[in-house]
Amino acid sequence: MKPVYPVIAVVVISGIPWLLGDRYSFHIATMATIMIPMATSMNLMVKIGQLSLAHVAFMGMGAYCSALLTMRVGVPPFLSLLSGGIFAAAVAALFAPIFLRIKGTYFVLLTFAFGEIINLIMQDWISLTNGNSGLFGIPKFSILGLRLTATQHYYAMGMIWTAMSFGVLWAIEKSDIGVIFQSLNENEMVTRSLGGNAMAWRIAAFVLSALIAGISGGFYAFYIGLLTPDTFGLRAIVDLLVINTIGGVSTVIGPLLGAILIVPLPELLRDAREYQLLIYGVCLGVFLMFFRQGLVALLRIEGREKRP
Amino acid sequence: MIAQIVVNGILAGLVYVIMALGFTLVFGIMRVVNFAHGEFYMTGAMVVMVLYGVLGWPFFVAVAIAGVTAALMGVVIERILIRPLVTEEMPGMIMTFAIGTTLQSGALLLFGPAERNIPRPFSGTWNAIGAVVPWDRTTVAVAALLILSLFYSFLKFTRTGLAMQAVSQDRETASLMGIESSMIYAVSFGMSCLLAGLAGALMAPIYPIGPYMGELVIVRAFVIVILGGLGSVPGAVLGGMIIGLCESAVATLVNPTAALIASFGVVLAIIIVRPTGLMGRIVR
Repeated sequence: MKPVYPVIAVVVISGIPWLLGDRYSFHIATMATIMIPMATSMNLMVKIGQLSLAHVAFMGMGAYCSALLTMRVGVPPFLSLLSGGIFAAAVAALFAPIFLRIKGTYFVLLTFAFGEIINLIMQDWISLTNGNSGLFGIPKFSILGLRLTATQHYYAMGMIWTAMSFGVLWAIEKSDIGVIFQSLNENEMVTRSLGGNAMAWRIAAFVLSALIAGISGGFYAFYIGLLTPDTFGLRAIVDLLVINTIGGVSTVIGPLLGAILIVPLPELLRDAREYQLLIYGVCLGVFLMFFRQGLVALLRIEGREKRP
Repeated sequence: MIAQIVVNGILAGLVYVIMALGFTLVFGIMRVVNFAHGEFYMTGAMVVMVLYGVLGWPFFVAVAIAGVTAALMGVVIERILIRPLVTEEMPGMIMTFAIGTTLQSGALLLFGPAERNIPRPFSGTWNAIGAVVPWDRTTVAVAALLILSLFYSFLKFTRTGLAMQAVSQDRETASLMGIESSMIYAVSFGMSCLLAGLAGALMAPIYPIGPYMGELVIVRAFVIVILGGLGSVPGAVLGGMIIGLCESAVATLVNPTAALIASFGVVLAIIIVRPTGLMGRIVR
């Protein structure tokens, strides 16, 4: 199947909330527009062979940074949204030269520990984040005098953000940079012997993924209006892993499909909220046992066309 | 003050060592990162909560049953879910995430989200080199030392233990020498879960028990294992003691969160010098 078809399908699916017209389906769709950039940017790291579990921590940094800038300093929301993303990217750039020295399992464990520690800081730095009681009273997003109040407005903004980030990541996958990233995973020695600066590319991927995560976090903060450290904890990591595994990691279309399938799940499980986590765990296990390559392999979607 | 810091550090370090050992053992032998390791710790604590806290059985009987329960769960889970993915690092790791999530939500459904405390089996304190040591922590430390020495003798002197070392050094050569790797996998995963279950069971009266209690424990185990070197048993012991002492110092002087941040800082510093950890071998 050509990769364009699923993308067209997604565009069609994105119209469903208007068809249903109720607020709850707009909410679900808006959450999907936050999770798609998160999952697809995590996929960028997976593709270079370095699964980063600090991803939700970067989302949290972006969220708290942009919320606090608007609340305490009075920066216009759009600017604080950008600053949140840049802050997350800057922290990523600061730690990248150390983190990316190590690979494989060590990297996963280290980023996991980093994420949990950032989460602890969010819980304990009460004067800044208000700890586990949550940071509330975040003003609504506004840009050029337009104030976004209804869920529909946020959905529209989320669609723009998703389209932008997906476009960038897809373009990277298709371009020569995509080849370099792929080679970092498959055979780094060859890349380096051909003069590629593997470390620099790796840092670039890490910083870009943190930037996207940070902006998604800021968007989340303005949309929900309440931040708790719990949002950026283990649950969110599991969500992203489930989305990537079920969608398939070989192409950025995988997590796109995964997110569209997984994010509405809470709606279907509304009567069995306690069982949600259980169902996530079981789904993840089943896909790993039987459909290791995810949906993209089931649908035969190829990320990069094989060149002769 | 310094004596107190050292004593607290050693008491905490011994439990960290047990957690890190089980984790590093599974990685060394199976090349599987067990993200569900903390959930076996939680299982151990939950069993003690039910048997000792609710039913009133003797504490050490409850601890032993808790360890065995965790070990049996581990053996079954390993056979069904982990064995098919054993040589593939990433899918294996994500599978343990799935197992951890499932166990956590299982505990949530059974016991609810609230944290509980159970009565302490030992109370009072005694003095050692000018430091105050609570009796309950002392029992944990003695039990931990006993477990560590048994584990060490097992690895060093039994045929199975030697076979486990052989598999961790070189799987293929070991299998050429007639070591059945599937049996070794079952034993080492079971043993790792036994250690985690015992650690959780021993700590149950000291910290609050809840479905999420495994999370922080596993972060610390990761930090220790990265510091000591993945798959290295002496590395886990050394790393556990270093982190125990470092956290005890910072926790006394500042607060527990700062302690975890400080130990992470130590690990980052080590990684700059030695990316494979203090005693790690080059993996991949």
